[in-house]
Amino acid sequence: MSPSMEILQGTLDLLILKTLALEPMHGWGVAQRIEQVSREALQVQQGSLYPALYRLERKKWIRAEWGASENNRRAKFYSLTKTGRQQLEKEMADWERLSLAVALILQRA
Amino acid sequence: MKFSRRQNPGNQWEESLNEELRFHLEKQVTLYLSAGMSPEEARRQALLQFGGVESVKEQCREHRKTFLLETLWADLQYGLRMLRINPGFAAIAVLTLALGIGANTAIFSVLDAAVLKPLPYPQADRLTLIWTEMKSAGQSRAPSSGPDLVDIRHRTKLLQDAGGIWVGSAAVTGTAEPEQIKLGFTTANFLTLLGIPAAKGRLFNARDESENAGPVIIITDGLWRRRFGADENIIGRSMIIDGRALTVVGVMPASFRLIFPEEASVPPDVQAWVPFGYDLSGAPRDLNYLRVVGRLRPGVTLPQAREELHSIAAHLRAEYPVDSKAGIDFEAFSLQQDTARDTQPAILALFVGVGLVLLIACANVANLLLSRSGLRHREITLRAALGASRSRIIRQLLTESILLSLLGGLAGLLLGWWGMKWLLALRPKSMVLLDAVKFNFPVLGYAFAISLLAGIIFGLAPSLEASKANLNETLKAAGRGFFGKQRYRTLLVTSEVALGFLLLVGAGLMARTFARLINVDPGFRSDHVLTFQISPPGSRYPKDQDRVRLIYRLKKNLEALPGVQCVGGVHLLPFDDYANWYSYYWLPGAAPQDQNTLLADHRSITSGFFQTLGIPLIDGQDFDESDIAAHRRVVIVDESLAKQMWPNESAVGKELNVETIQEGDFRRAIAVVVGVVKHTKSLQLTGNGRPQIYEPYAQSTREIMAFAIRTKGDPTSLIGAVRAEVAKLDANLPLSKVRPMDEYVRMARASARFTTLLALALAGLALALASVGIYGVTSYSVAQRKNEIGIRMALGAQARDILKIVLVEGMTAVFAGITIGLLLSLLMTPMLSSLLFEVRSRDALTFVAVALFLSAVGLLACCIPARRAMRVDPMVALRYE
Repeated sequence: MSPSMEILQGTLDLLILKTLALEPMHGWGVAQRIEQVSREALQVQQGSLYPALYRLERKKWIRAEWGASENNRRAKFYSLTKTGRQQLEKEMADWERLSLAVALILQRA
Repeated sequence: MKFSRRQNPGNQWEESLNEELRFHLEKQVTLYLSAGMSPEEARRQALLQFGGVESVKEQCREHRKTFLLETLWADLQYGLRMLRINPGFAAIAVLTLALGIGANTAIFSVLDAAVLKPLPYPQADRLTLIWTEMKSAGQSRAPSSGPDLVDIRHRTKLLQDAGGIWVGSAAVTGTAEPEQIKLGFTTANFLTLLGIPAAKGRLFNARDESENAGPVIIITDGLWRRRFGADENIIGRSMIIDGRALTVVGVMPASFRLIFPEEASVPPDVQAWVPFGYDLSGAPRDLNYLRVVGRLRPGVTLPQAREELHSIAAHLRAEYPVDSKAGIDFEAFSLQQDTARDTQPAILALFVGVGLVLLIACANVANLLLSRSGLRHREITLRAALGASRSRIIRQLLTESILLSLLGGLAGLLLGWWGMKWLLALRPKSMVLLDAVKFNFPVLGYAFAISLLAGIIFGLAPSLEASKANLNETLKAAGRGFFGKQRYRTLLVTSEVALGFLLLVGAGLMARTFARLINVDPGFRSDHVLTFQISPPGSRYPKDQDRVRLIYRLKKNLEALPGVQCVGGVHLLPFDDYANWYSYYWLPGAAPQDQNTLLADHRSITSGFFQTLGIPLIDGQDFDESDIAAHRRVVIVDESLAKQMWPNESAVGKELNVETIQEGDFRRAIAVVVGVVKHTKSLQLTGNGRPQIYEPYAQSTREIMAFAIRTKGDPTSLIGAVRAEVAKLDANLPLSKVRPMDEYVRMARASARFTTLLALALAGLALALASVGIYGVTSYSVAQRKNEIGIRMALGAQARDILKIVLVEGMTAVFAGITIGLLLSLLMTPMLSSLLFEVRSRDALTFVAVALFLSAVGLLACCIPARRAMRVDPMVALRYE
């Protein structure tokens, strides 16, 4: 097992939504941000990031726009939509309930 | 390999995806460069970190909005190209499917017309047919009497109205050639009840029924065109019917027809309608002749109406001793269901059968696809390697198979249309509902739906199988691909044989039934007999004696014609579609409660009738003109009546109370039995029917008379001479139904013949498809195992051993199929019972014959490829490896 953990698909969706909640970002930025914030514990399989972005866009949780990057290159920026924001809240609540439950069991057992 | 996806519409989207991924990689490379890697190393690491670019792209594409539509289009184009590349495969698959779908479409068009489609009357589901039951005589489904109908009309609260009809025959004379037509005598409300307005003029109203109203008539569109040259001013013109002038008050639309069950004796070719010219309530209570139709009030259900009719009958039984003696009751059925009653079981059976044929066709095509999926395995594996998901691959393969089945459906529509024409040409006249068979939207929709379904049925298994591609295995095996699919194919053969067995058994049972029907002795000889009918009009033949004189003179003249052996008259020929006349009979002096309990068919005949139709006289003698002259009332009975009434003695000389018709009125009379004849079948070939009483025409004079003429040569050659003889006596007397007696017997067998022919056609189709299937699987397996066979032969196996291996393998599947088919048939054939005659639904002979026949066909289908296997040259086979 590598020191950094791979991310399950559902979790990846949640992380992308959360990351994009801060500010619009391009794909590479999302991957970097997730790795940085998790202190490199979580590593995004970069290839699987894009299908996830396209899937979320299809679900209308995020939208994409072409814009200029830091060094003025054309890049595709993703941002959260209104339904995406609602979805994020719902998924975060779900996640908290789940992790709380798991934590409880781990402590008791 | 070419993927047609990257074409114009998606270009921009693809560009954007490429640019996005390029941007990502550049950022990553920049990151690594800044960490001090060499440019090459940085690029390598970035790509490594990213994973398979093509695979990622493919996954992204699956989330495109227009992905489904776009790929569908691409898949269709691709599928078409695959079919063009392999036209032999495409042709066989499309033809197989076309046969299955075409047969289904044709049979469905029949089902649609005869079972599903409502009768062509407004709110036809509200129409009910009311039969009378005579419980004492054990007679159900009998007509009703005039007073019955009047009472029902007065007492019902749940029926909007009820009306009656009785169909007779009449002569149309006047300007054109005299013509005999079927004439419906109806209550004034009868046509109104059916709900179709007249195309010209009006329908009857209550005034037409009153006794001093001028006589009126409503005619069909056909009669209007034929006799009046489609005269627009027809309304109000007069028409000579049976010598009386009637005023035409209405013309029905061309599409209007009476649609009744066959046994109601209301044939669809009634040409005109007149109101009863008398008060129905004055008719005898036990004279049952009316076919009664009722229309349910809105919201009333059939069971409720039934309940009410039962209670009306109970009241009538309490009020009238005649009804109580006869045990009168009323039974209501939906007109629609009652009319479909006779044809429905046969059509449903055929529908199931044709469904099985389609399944067999699907199995065959699945088989073809499986053979091909072996060849396409490498292509599919490559796609999977390039990132296509499994569902994506299944969808592509399914699109291809549905494309195939839609092509098959299109060709099937052509075949089905042709099949429907064939069905229509063969249909027996008695299946009235089949006249409405046509390709309409439901039929087209059905064809489309089963095509789609067939595509999924035969496409799903092979695509699931093919999409299970194990990358490494396949790429290593380099497309030789024989993936243990043999078991799956064996399963296909087994099910084809099982379904084929079921169909063959069904067809076999029908064929045996038909053979039985052919061999049924109707009790008379129909060969070399010419028949025709006349109905001397009351206006010119007002008295019985006038008609009797005409009939006997005509009989004498006909007898004198060269080529004529003998002549006889009867008022209703066996298997004719006019209303049958049956009534009660009893021994003189029978107690009142025993009087209305026995029913017999009554026939008015002239002497010579038995001789002409070859009906053997068992006891006594034929009618003698001197009896008639002496006014001694005489009858001849059939042996079943004689045995029943006088079991151990001769019936000759005994007396019976019978019904006669004199000067147009039914009268009871006591008559002496002078002879006993063999029973003849006269309504249907199956079953025995009621006993028969024959009365001399002179003592029981009907308005209609049929003549039977036994000829030395071809009966039709006498038609001209016979017409001339009739014209000599009365130039205005039309002849109708001039045809050989054989034709009546043929008509009686027509519906069994129709069902049998269809069942045999389906079984033939199933057999052909199944044997092609067995052959296909066996030869494919032989081709696949060429090298194995080669090795075996190189190791010393004899040709005989190889033959044995192939045959055992093929026949195992066939025998398994036969066993399953046998079990299925044992389970299913009892459902055919109502269609069978003197054949048990589990007829051992049929089952054994079908099992042997299928084994033989299976053996033949296995033998051809097996012989090919025997001739495998080991050297060639091994080199091929």
